[in-house]
Amino acid sequence: MNEEMAWVLQAQQGSDEAFTQLVEAYQTHVYNMCYRMLGDAESAEDAAQETFLRAFQHLNRYDQKRPFATWLLSIAAHYCIDRLRRRKFSMISMDAEEDEKSLDLPDADAPNPESEMMHSEQRERMQGLLKRLDGTDRAAIVMRYWNDCSESEIAEALQLTVSAVKSRLHRARRELAGLWQEDRPRPKPERRPHESPAF
Amino acid sequence: MNHQPFEDWLLEDQRLTSDQERDLQAHLRICTSCPAIAESNLALHSTRMIRPAEGFAARFQVRLIENRKTARTRQFIGTLILILAGLAFLYWLANPVIQAAMRSPAEWITTAVGYLLFILTSIQMLSEVSRVFLHLLPDFISPVGWFVIFLLVSGLGALEALSIRRFTRKPQGA
Repeated sequence: MNEEMAWVLQAQQGSDEAFTQLVEAYQTHVYNMCYRMLGDAESAEDAAQETFLRAFQHLNRYDQKRPFATWLLSIAAHYCIDRLRRRKFSMISMDAEEDEKSLDLPDADAPNPESEMMHSEQRERMQGLLKRLDGTDRAAIVMRYWNDCSESEIAEALQLTVSAVKSRLHRARRELAGLWQEDRPRPKPERRPHESPAF
Repeated sequence: MNHQPFEDWLLEDQRLTSDQERDLQAHLRICTSCPAIAESNLALHSTRMIRPAEGFAARFQVRLIENRKTARTRQFIGTLILILAGLAFLYWLANPVIQAAMRSPAEWITTAVGYLLFILTSIQMLSEVSRVFLHLLPDFISPVGWFVIFLLVSGLGALEALSIRRFTRKPQGA
């Protein structure tokens, strides 16, 4: 039995300390999933906390044959999809949150700061585009690229078939590529010396 | 090769052989739509995890304690409401009887004493009958009969235990 399974078993018997170990181990995965899904730090923190609380309350339903991380991500994804749906109904625009500063800052100690800066810009741009995807497609993309989940793990977590996951990922990549092209920063036209600034 | 296979490779984001990679690079130099897919795929592959602020687990502990407190309060209020509603319902049911009893106390005291006497004599009579019955029964039932009765009772007990186990089994899966 591995350490993680021992924590799960202890937590199932009511040990808060064992569950805290699980929180420590998976906080980044769950928080990152919530951040990518909801787009801001405050909502992500709240959703990640709620995910762990729901996991703790329903720990007796956890099937030990499944990976614990996938089970947690499944709870997080469903919770975030539900929140996005409620946001949509309450007519709160996601664009209002786009101005928030991302925490994904460039690494100043990187060997090549210029390329790191470029990658950081690309990541920020991708985060902006991600918000424009459908909730389930977004969850599939986050699980695939941020959590390295296989298509069958994504299918299990999102309660879809493997072929549905493949088609959702295919569609999401196409949509992201279209948005990526639309969102491409255009070079500023240079003004000639005798040209009017208005035209 | 035409455009479609390259677009499919990119949209499926699958691992390519070195020959496929070379062909794809050549296609990307002349195609107008595929570079966007390649660039967005590259951006997806260069993703990075975002960590929560320090003390996430401690904040979770606080939330868990608060949640337990709320659940306890909710449970207490729910039980209180249930008890009060039950009492109100009982009062509503018993109200006509109480009203009648208050009007003529002598009558209900006589009735109550009568009932009490009836219950006491019934218990006494039943115990007498069962004592006689148990005294005479072993002579009427043969050992085979006792064995059949024992088997029937055990079978019923086992059936009950099985049904309880079946209905109380915990469901699996989230």
